[in-house]
Amino acid sequence: MPEILHVGIDLGTSRSSISASNGERFVVDSYVGWPVDMVARKVLKRGVLIGHEAVSNRTMLDLHRPLERGLLKEGSEKDVEAVRELLKHLLGLVGVSNGGSVSASNVRAVVGVPAAALRTNKQYLRNSMKGIVDSLLIVSEPFAVAYGLDALLHTLIIDIGAGTTDFCVMRGRYPTEEDQRTLTVAGDSIDAQLLKLIEERYPEANVTVYMVREWKEKFSFVGKASQKVIVTAPVKGVPTQLDITNEMKAACESLLPPVNEMMLDLLARVEPEFQERVRNNIILSGGGGLTRGLPQALEAALNQVGGGKVRYMEDPVFIGSDGGLALAIDAPDGDWEKLSG
Amino acid sequence: MTAARKDRVKRRLIQQAFADNLDTIRGLPPRAVRPRNRNARIWMRRAPLLLLFLTLAGSTYLASNPTSVRDTIGPAKIVMNRPARSAGVPPTSIDPTPVTAAALQLSVRRVIVDAGHGGADPGATSLLNVREKDITLDIAERLEALLKKNGFEVVATRESDRLIPLRERARIANESNGDIFVSIHVNSIIKHTASHGIETYYLGATSDPTLTRLAADENRVSGYSVADLRKLLDRLYADARRGESERLADEVQRQLVGNLRAADPGLENWGVKRAPFVVLVATDMPAILAEIGCMSNDTEVARLHRPDYRQHIAEALFQGIHAYASVADASQKKGI
Ligand SMILES: Nc1ncnc2c1ncn2[C@@H]1O[C@H](COP(=O)(O)OP(=O)(O)OP(=O)(O)O)[C@@H](O)[C@H]1O
Ligand SMILES: [Mg+2]
Ligand SMILES: [Zn+2]
Repeated sequence: MPEILHVGIDLGTSRSSISASNGERFVVDSYVGWPVDMVARKVLKRGVLIGHEAVSNRTMLDLHRPLERGLLKEGSEKDVEAVRELLKHLLGLVGVSNGGSVSASNVRAVVGVPAAALRTNKQYLRNSMKGIVDSLLIVSEPFAVAYGLDALLHTLIIDIGAGTTDFCVMRGRYPTEEDQRTLTVAGDSIDAQLLKLIEERYPEANVTVYMVREWKEKFSFVGKASQKVIVTAPVKGVPTQLDITNEMKAACESLLPPVNEMMLDLLARVEPEFQERVRNNIILSGGGGLTRGLPQALEAALNQVGGGKVRYMEDPVFIGSDGGLALAIDAPDGDWEKLSG
Repeated sequence: MTAARKDRVKRRLIQQAFADNLDTIRGLPPRAVRPRNRNARIWMRRAPLLLLFLTLAGSTYLASNPTSVRDTIGPAKIVMNRPARSAGVPPTSIDPTPVTAAALQLSVRRVIVDAGHGGADPGATSLLNVREKDITLDIAERLEALLKKNGFEVVATRESDRLIPLRERARIANESNGDIFVSIHVNSIIKHTASHGIETYYLGATSDPTLTRLAADENRVSGYSVADLRKLLDRLYADARRGESERLADEVQRQLVGNLRAADPGLENWGVKRAPFVVLVATDMPAILAEIGCMSNDTEVARLHRPDYRQHIAEALFQGIHAYASVADASQKKGI
């Protein structure tokens, strides 16, 4: 029997990662682009570009981010094609390809997707990924995270990504609709908010959403500022220092009311005897979770209901794909065989 | 947790994850709302109404047959014996996401204006040969002009007498990144030619007893209980969009009734309602569908025939959108 390769894939709005049982791990930006014309194709020397490469050549590309706002847009052939390219690319990185060391028919893949995508277009998503690997299990991303962390019981996962903030209460069962919630306030909406606030304060400055995102990833915070946030941007063509401390705070804090509200609401739905345990077992993941002061701000909100503990997971990049990999390996052969084909 | 217990839990989780995937492959709905009975399950896969609700959960049917979905649930067919009632929807068992516009810091710049029907699909027609598709296009154009004059950006899903599938309309709306979606229709109530009114819909499980009854009839063979359908829908709509859509619907309905009653004192306020219209399901932004009048009432048809009355309607729609947008903007400026 040929060697089976198990992989876990986290298909995110902004970043996608893969962890494989051969020890390989990779992360790419979730962008896929096709050269717009013959000229671009000649320059780029390829039919499709993925990840960072795609972003940096975006002017020459028809650029797609297939899971914008956590959903795979229906009716967009290009977005489906982009998901497929992204998956193939990730698999190629760990050695799976036609001429590569592992053939696709020997791969068992667990793919974690934003919970909203699974809720609204499960079947469509599955069809879009058809034929890429032999055996494919699709799960919600927060579930993969929980599984990877062994957080199976009395835990609340809050995953603040780019497109969505996903909540998932783990109560020892595969999460159902009741256990999961999604907000579209997340990294992208903070970027948009921050851009708007900066434009309002400095109408002359020339700022793009890409610059704003970079600043946010460096200086994000809620609560008390530990230092002033000073950035450099062209104002009428001249590089100028701008103080965006207040704007940064306001944009990042736009997360708090909806996230707090949702967190408290989900906690209130937990069986009373377990509420305290769940409150003390809240796990923050995703890039947005890196925002300084966020765990403390959420804990402050928990004080209204008797207090709680919020942990942030270090090394958030691979938690989802590592969780998927763990699941892939733990699943019995018999289960995999049912899904193959 | 002991190691043995942990293994047990893991085994269960894996089993459930695979079962869930197998269900998807077989085209079954989520487990939580599935009837237990085996026969019922088989029926379920055949019943067309069920397919409709699967569409809402799985969105695959949408692709194959958008028009017939709407036909099944369009207001013209559902509402046959309408009790006159005021706005307001009974609360459902499952709370929608408690997110406010203030929290989301929404602001409205781009409005998608959707003129109902078109081309081979005339929509409701009247004895006087006034067709819904013409009325909706005319009002949409008037509304577009008003919005543009007031600094909004407008994207129209239909600009001529063309058939545009609902799915295509939703695609246009989503790809042009609209902030809100406003669909314009004219009602047709076959039995009640004497009364006429205005109603505005947003996406959700229905609050209309006639639709509930219709659903119940259909569901006798589907294996779904009405309660299950409601649950399915309610879960689907637990997003921030729903609260916003309701607020937009409220403002628009208020302006329509308030402004048009002056011209037509007999106009009834049929209120804000929820219904699972496909075009509302498929759009990504707060979305409403306004039934701005009734084709089945002759005096109203005569009124709809008049350009000044249609302008009046467009203005009322504009006022509603404007009211919605100003609240969103105000809360933003205050930085709540
Ligand atoms: N230090 C930081 N502070 C705040 N936000 C950050 C930081 N670092 C990264 N982010 C944001 O986190 C988001 C990316 O997070 P992540 O990789 O978890 O998203 P994703 O998994 O691709 O998205 P989703 O979970 O919505 O599918 C981006 O919006 C990014 O700007
Ligand atoms: Mg993520
Ligand atoms: Zn109509």
